[in-house]
Amino acid sequence: MDLQGKAGYFVGKLIELLVTLLLVSLLVFAAFSIIPGDTARVMLGPEASEAQVDLLRTQLGLDRPLAVRYFSWLFGILTFNPGTSYAYNMNVGELIAQRLPVTVGMSAIAMVMVILISYPLAVLSARKPGRLGDQVCSVIGHVLFAIPPYVASLLLILLASSVFSLVTVGNYVTPSDDFIGYIGCLLLPSFAIALPKIAMSFKFLRSSIIEQRASDYVRTSKSHGLSDLKILVRHVLPNSNVSSITIISIILSDILGGSLIVEQVFNLPGLGRLLLSAISRRDFPLLSGIVFYLAFITVLLYFLSDILAAITDPRIRLK
Amino acid sequence: METVRHNKYRSPEASAFYAAGLALLGIVVVTFIISLFWTPYSPEATDAASKLLAPCLEHPFGTDNFGRDVLSRVMSASKYTIYISAAGVAIALILGTLAGIPAGYFGGYTDKGIMLLGNSIMCFPGILLALVAVAVFGASVTNVIWALGLVFAPTFARVCRVGTMEIKELDYITHARVMGVKPYRIMAMHIFPNLVPQLLPATVIGLANMTLFESGMSYLGLGVQPPDASFGKMLSDSQAYIRVAPWLVVFPALMLVFYILGLYFISEGLRVNLAKGGKR
Amino acid sequence: MKNLIKSIVIASAVALTLSGFAGCSKKTGTANNNAVVGITQEPGIFDPHTVVAAGDEEIIFNVYEGLYKYDSKGDLNPCLATDVAISDDASVYTFTIREGVKFHDGSDLDAADVVYSLKRAAGLLENQDGTALVQELDPIKDVKAVDGKVEVTLESGNTELLSYFTTGIIPEGYDNCQAAPVGTGPFKFESYNPGQSVILVKNENYWQKGLPYLDKVTFKVCADMDAGLTELAAGSIDIFPYLTTDRANQLDKSKYNILSNGSNMVQIFALNNSVEPLNNLKVRQAINYAVSRKDVISVTMDGAGVELTTAMSPAMGSYYDKSLDGTFAQDVEKAKALLAEAGYENGFNITCTVPSSYLIHVNTAVELASELKAVGINMEIKQVDWATWLDKVYTNRQYETTVIALTSSYAPYDVLDRYQSASSGNFINYKNDKVDELMAKIPTIADTKEKTELYHQVLKLLTDDACSVYLQDPTTITAVSTRLEGYNVYPMYVQDMSQVKVTGN
Repeated sequence: MDLQGKAGYFVGKLIELLVTLLLVSLLVFAAFSIIPGDTARVMLGPEASEAQVDLLRTQLGLDRPLAVRYFSWLFGILTFNPGTSYAYNMNVGELIAQRLPVTVGMSAIAMVMVILISYPLAVLSARKPGRLGDQVCSVIGHVLFAIPPYVASLLLILLASSVFSLVTVGNYVTPSDDFIGYIGCLLLPSFAIALPKIAMSFKFLRSSIIEQRASDYVRTSKSHGLSDLKILVRHVLPNSNVSSITIISIILSDILGGSLIVEQVFNLPGLGRLLLSAISRRDFPLLSGIVFYLAFITVLLYFLSDILAAITDPRIRLK
Repeated sequence: METVRHNKYRSPEASAFYAAGLALLGIVVVTFIISLFWTPYSPEATDAASKLLAPCLEHPFGTDNFGRDVLSRVMSASKYTIYISAAGVAIALILGTLAGIPAGYFGGYTDKGIMLLGNSIMCFPGILLALVAVAVFGASVTNVIWALGLVFAPTFARVCRVGTMEIKELDYITHARVMGVKPYRIMAMHIFPNLVPQLLPATVIGLANMTLFESGMSYLGLGVQPPDASFGKMLSDSQAYIRVAPWLVVFPALMLVFYILGLYFISEGLRVNLAKGGKR
Repeated sequence: MKNLIKSIVIASAVALTLSGFAGCSKKTGTANNNAVVGITQEPGIFDPHTVVAAGDEEIIFNVYEGLYKYDSKGDLNPCLATDVAISDDASVYTFTIREGVKFHDGSDLDAADVVYSLKRAAGLLENQDGTALVQELDPIKDVKAVDGKVEVTLESGNTELLSYFTTGIIPEGYDNCQAAPVGTGPFKFESYNPGQSVILVKNENYWQKGLPYLDKVTFKVCADMDAGLTELAAGSIDIFPYLTTDRANQLDKSKYNILSNGSNMVQIFALNNSVEPLNNLKVRQAINYAVSRKDVISVTMDGAGVELTTAMSPAMGSYYDKSLDGTFAQDVEKAKALLAEAGYENGFNITCTVPSSYLIHVNTAVELASELKAVGINMEIKQVDWATWLDKVYTNRQYETTVIALTSSYAPYDVLDRYQSASSGNFINYKNDKVDELMAKIPTIADTKEKTELYHQVLKLLTDDACSVYLQDPTTITAVSTRLEGYNVYPMYVQDMSQVKVTGN
């Protein structure tokens, strides 16, 4: 593949990314024009009079038609200004930035846990498939996969508080205040999210490694006298990596979405809870901002995995 | 020439998976079937006098905070759990396959268009989508199933697309194409069957995720409406009682784990069989 | 090779577990002279004149003060005013302003500040369009300072207005209350961290000498009651209101005192009086007889609630009409007979639209559905989110039945205002000309005894018309850490932190 083709491919992907983001924002806009509910009324509650609600509506600019608000929002995004949240009266970018450390930190820690635990276990398990150790790992993996994250969260909280008498909930500290404490309070929730993903990644890697091991080129390398470790590092792992990139990107986007319930259970001020509150308060700028942001990250992940897969797997040809 | 033949070979490993899977799934399915004809008590009838009773002879699984019999509720919850996850996955599977295979097969703008839409839906918060569905069509289980199906369809489309891209490069597909076999025939008769091994795990993961997603939605009052329940909803409702009435958590959790694990084992058996059968 | 991999696995697993638990053992914040209060509603509005949501009010109660202020017994006491003189026809209120009070920004309170604040609340400032920010102060025609006193003139005589002069007083010309609240209360507003917390600090110059005791109060947002409960158990919050009994019972009694008090709220199974078959009096009576209030309270509050048969809580004292107690004792046979009389001997189907964010109302609906089934009424429950509920049910009244708690103030007029046929709060579509007439008459009466009698008549009419099913006044249950004392539970949505002090650790 020539350099020009590659560049064209990336530009194509970039355009796709932008179109996807536009589509997503249009979907949010469409959703908002359908669902009932009035931001001003939600903020003021049932006891407020019609006049008070009207006043707030005018103050917030809610009396303009939604289409007008959408285009002014879109224009804002183009000039890197995501607008002001109705409910919080704060810049949306600032709000998201405040919540980001929780969600990103949790995702990152969970991802590290997934890799740190599933890779070694898979390599170990796949060395002697069918042995006791392998089977124990597989069974545990299956069970873990079947436990919903919030059940896992509850069990972990119970375990930590009653057996180890550790405080695990509601002690969130920002990374700028105390970085170690920040990592510390995210560990348990991250673990709750990571558990089923560890199982998933373990299962996938294990079968992939076994498959690669049985393939002709590994046998050939073996007959050439290469050591086990060299074969593993040079051939088996890179080849299983091709598809694990896809799996990992799926896991990562799953983690982002799945952190919502864990945030709820552990009472962490993350992006998931901000999203829920934006929906329930009908905060259009905030919701669009969060969705746009999450979409950006997810789309980026998928495209990166597509591109990586395209580069590494000769079977998928680039056009 | 490599083709996949569904021959009768069965590995002992697969049989073990089948046995375990069917046993676990059987518990849930049998419970479900019995619940259609009989439950020990009405799952909806509240009785303030006998609330939060620990498991005893009259109430083997205890009673909940309304004094309702947990066994009866678990039995009737199996109905909604199975119904929602199965119907949701079926919709997602059909939509995903219909979109994913052509995307992978034709490539180009078809691919781009379909994947763009898929990515957009995936980035869209599922809960918001469900809220829209409920706002437009009213709060009902059916509408939630459609929303779930739509939310999960892109996952299947991705699996199909990547699989198709790999399979279509195989010699026999190229041969078929050269021989003038119509694309839809190639996709339906040659590509789809070969995707089954990859779709099966995705389906099971989909079933599990859907069960979880459904219980997550009950936070917003979507999905199953009280007094009906699903395992997931029973779990999220009983969260607060985990210390004082653990039986409220234990039984639905066990059933949920049985359900997901059973499905999982069966798909493993299928996968092992297909993989080993394919190598012969 | 094999050993290498093995040791990597073990090392990483051990490292992970160790670090995992080490990091979490850190306790933050509850030592020293501070207190953390858990709240479940996201605060949003800090302007004393636009605030209406209970979740905001409970915080800013500590920041702003009005001319009068309620105490925890529900008595109205002079606060920034020392005295009031009301003219005979109740159309002019003259307040004497307290001296020596300082605002949080250091300026002194004088009559001009009060005039400005009241005018702003009533929508009378020059840059306002005449719409009152505080709806209840709409009857004010003019406010002016006379010899250091403040004279408030009303459009017509109104004996019911004093309780609304609790509205917050802010410095003259100040218009930035939302971003930077300035009041005269025991605590100063320090910061608001959306979705996380509101922090208040001690007002060193508070006019009540010696108060408050605490240096800092943090109102911490908890996702829901259960998240708050977990935080309580973990010790990261000190005070958590609005618990249910069965949840409060899970707490360690040596660490938490459980306080309970009537909430002065009215939980209502609202029936839309203008839809079939609920427009039929007999049907509404039948539903009232079909319901066991005791079981509803048992299931939703674990017994901690007071049964209601009328639109007012017993906490309203003499305004509450005791003679109505026990009017609708559960009687399934009578309910069936009434349904048959109304032509529904086979029952009917109906839906109940409940706000999903309020567990107590959803649970009530479940219990009600089970009880209604016994008389042949099939009630289907539809949960909607709060914004949808406000829009569909409350504002547009497109519903059949719903369950909700009506927040009430101490002002009896406020409680009953919504039953006037033209009231915007009349979401049950109740219409009785007699009630309208009585409600119009009440503000013109000065004699308390006569007024009480009129209120009783209104309550009687509401109950006779079975306009809805009044269920309970749910008890407010608050867990307070044993390291604190002096916390008073108010029968309304406020957290008074001024009397709280730290005694232990």
